[in-house]
Amino acid sequence: MKLIDALEIIKRPTKLDTRSFDVLQACGFTPLHLQTFLAAHLRLLKPDRCVSVHTGLFGDLIGNIERGKSRHFDAFVVVIEWADLDPRLSARNSGNWRADVLADVEQSIALSVQRIENAIISSNEAPVIVSMPTLPLPPIFTTAPHQACGLENKILQRLAILAFRLGEQPNVRIVNSQSLHETSPFNARFDLKSEIMAGFPYSVSHASILAEELARLAHNPAPKKGLITDLDGTLWSGIVGEDGVDGISWDLEHKTRLHGLYQQTLASLASAGVLLGVASKNSPEVVDRAFDRPDLLVSRTEVYPFEVHWSRKSGSVKRILEKWNVSADSVVFIDDSPMEVAEVSDAFPEMECIVFPAGSYHGIWDLLKYLRSVFGKSSVSADDTLRLESLRKGAEWQQIVSSSSEVSLDEFLKLAKASILFDANKSPEARALELVNKTNQFNLNGRRYNESEWNVFHSGAKAFSVLVSYEDRYGSLGKIAVMLGRVEAHKLHLESWVLSCRAFSRRIEHQCLKFLFERFGCEEIIFDYVQTVKNGPLQEFFLGLMGTPPYLGMSLSREFFATHAPALYHEVKEHSNV
Amino acid sequence: MSKKVSLSPAEREELLVRCFSSVLPALTIEEIRTASSDVPGIWDSLATVTLIAVVEEEFGIQIDQERVLELHSFAAWLNYIQEEVTREA
Repeated sequence: MKLIDALEIIKRPTKLDTRSFDVLQACGFTPLHLQTFLAAHLRLLKPDRCVSVHTGLFGDLIGNIERGKSRHFDAFVVVIEWADLDPRLSARNSGNWRADVLADVEQSIALSVQRIENAIISSNEAPVIVSMPTLPLPPIFTTAPHQACGLENKILQRLAILAFRLGEQPNVRIVNSQSLHETSPFNARFDLKSEIMAGFPYSVSHASILAEELARLAHNPAPKKGLITDLDGTLWSGIVGEDGVDGISWDLEHKTRLHGLYQQTLASLASAGVLLGVASKNSPEVVDRAFDRPDLLVSRTEVYPFEVHWSRKSGSVKRILEKWNVSADSVVFIDDSPMEVAEVSDAFPEMECIVFPAGSYHGIWDLLKYLRSVFGKSSVSADDTLRLESLRKGAEWQQIVSSSSEVSLDEFLKLAKASILFDANKSPEARALELVNKTNQFNLNGRRYNESEWNVFHSGAKAFSVLVSYEDRYGSLGKIAVMLGRVEAHKLHLESWVLSCRAFSRRIEHQCLKFLFERFGCEEIIFDYVQTVKNGPLQEFFLGLMGTPPYLGMSLSREFFATHAPALYHEVKEHSNV
Repeated sequence: MSKKVSLSPAEREELLVRCFSSVLPALTIEEIRTASSDVPGIWDSLATVTLIAVVEEEFGIQIDQERVLELHSFAAWLNYIQEEVTREA
């Protein structure tokens, strides 16, 4: 992005009723164009928000972080440069660069690193985005520039440890220096003239690229959920129906290792909770035998479902989306045939459809990196690893339920030996936020929270949040529901309520309401209901329970619930340290 | 960055108006053409620093710091740019 474009973007008017998105850019240099670019990139990423980037005082990075804690921000952006670690490293400062003070510079950096770590770790409400120094160190060391100096290595080590320690914090995200190296050439980042004349050390191009990375980390969109892959010419080299199971390959010997790299990446994504599906025009028996090969790097159990037949791929994709119960825009489709890609893309314009770059070394490498960028997540939870298995179980369950009469459903639910764990711990958990922000169908009002709003909600004195986990004899579904609200004078106001679609038809919804009545001793629950395009299943639930479609402010009394709720067979447990 | 030598003088003026407009959004196009850094509260030192960066990027030139003080009006900027872009072209 050019500076003129950034300036024009930030002066575009925003709607009056737009919610704000306030960011603190804490840095020690003049914020200048970095602030402009950051605001512009955030405006593009958050068109529905009124973005403001606030700054602090020149030359006081730590003070700016500390002062920022006194007011609410949606994100803290901390940009560290060498001068923040020791003023002698600034080109504006007439500091001593003699050989005998270099050890003192290193010691001073050690202290600054500690202070910065303390300041960032204690700012625990909003997400913190940190950029470690991106500029070259000034030429203060006694070695020639092409020779690394021991002290220089020690300084770099201190910074690496700081990045590691900060990255361990759940609310801190660090700009990836390797990724930045790819987009912003190291030797084109520093602008000495700008540093001396204006106190702004970055070239305009580096400021733009760094701001884009910072904005992406502050925006932090939900990753995509699933990947549908073709088999022949994509997952492996060769056509299994013609070449035979032993004729397909993905190894060095057959010069088809690129397919092996693709398989490794898919297996890695699956282990992090990404759904993998197969859409292939093939004979199911042949594919079944191919997945028996022990050297295949992605296993049969990591894939669900397999759509293997000779019909159109768009039909396969449609069925996979239904089984996953996810929308097309959260899925990537990969096939080596441009014609198949075009057919699926026409049917699902919102879906990202990619032609597998068979035989292209650069193309494959870029594809693998791209997949990381759209499926990347800060951490992998236990629920991520459960997702595919619970989908399988959910599909089996739905099949049984849809073929059962009401009487046999009761029998079936009894036999399921289900257990529900309610966790009313007020410490917010990342999984709960993730569930609230990604669940569409059983969602009371579609309300989304950013991390900062989430933390503010939980700090309310009358606020409660309940995270619900479920398991039965068929396996665990993990954490599948969240309820947020507040209790005032025997009335419980339910502000958010989501339930994962894979947990439908188990009467978990009813057990949730029962828990609220009992746990909080309330006589009435008032629902902050809003109709959304996608919350039909929630509307159906209320229609079934109350005999009327839901509406804003609708309430449910304890007595009505007791007389209208169906029989519940779950074993209920509670984990609480409220 | 490459010098915008292919632009006609009128196109350079138009581009400079866009640069000014992005940095000094409070001014209308007419006001930009008569703008001067003497007007407090609108054209301050921060605006000058930003204007330098925008003009350098848009016109592919390096502005001589020694001459920044001379660049106190739109007309002065336009003259400077016409001179720089065509110099050594």
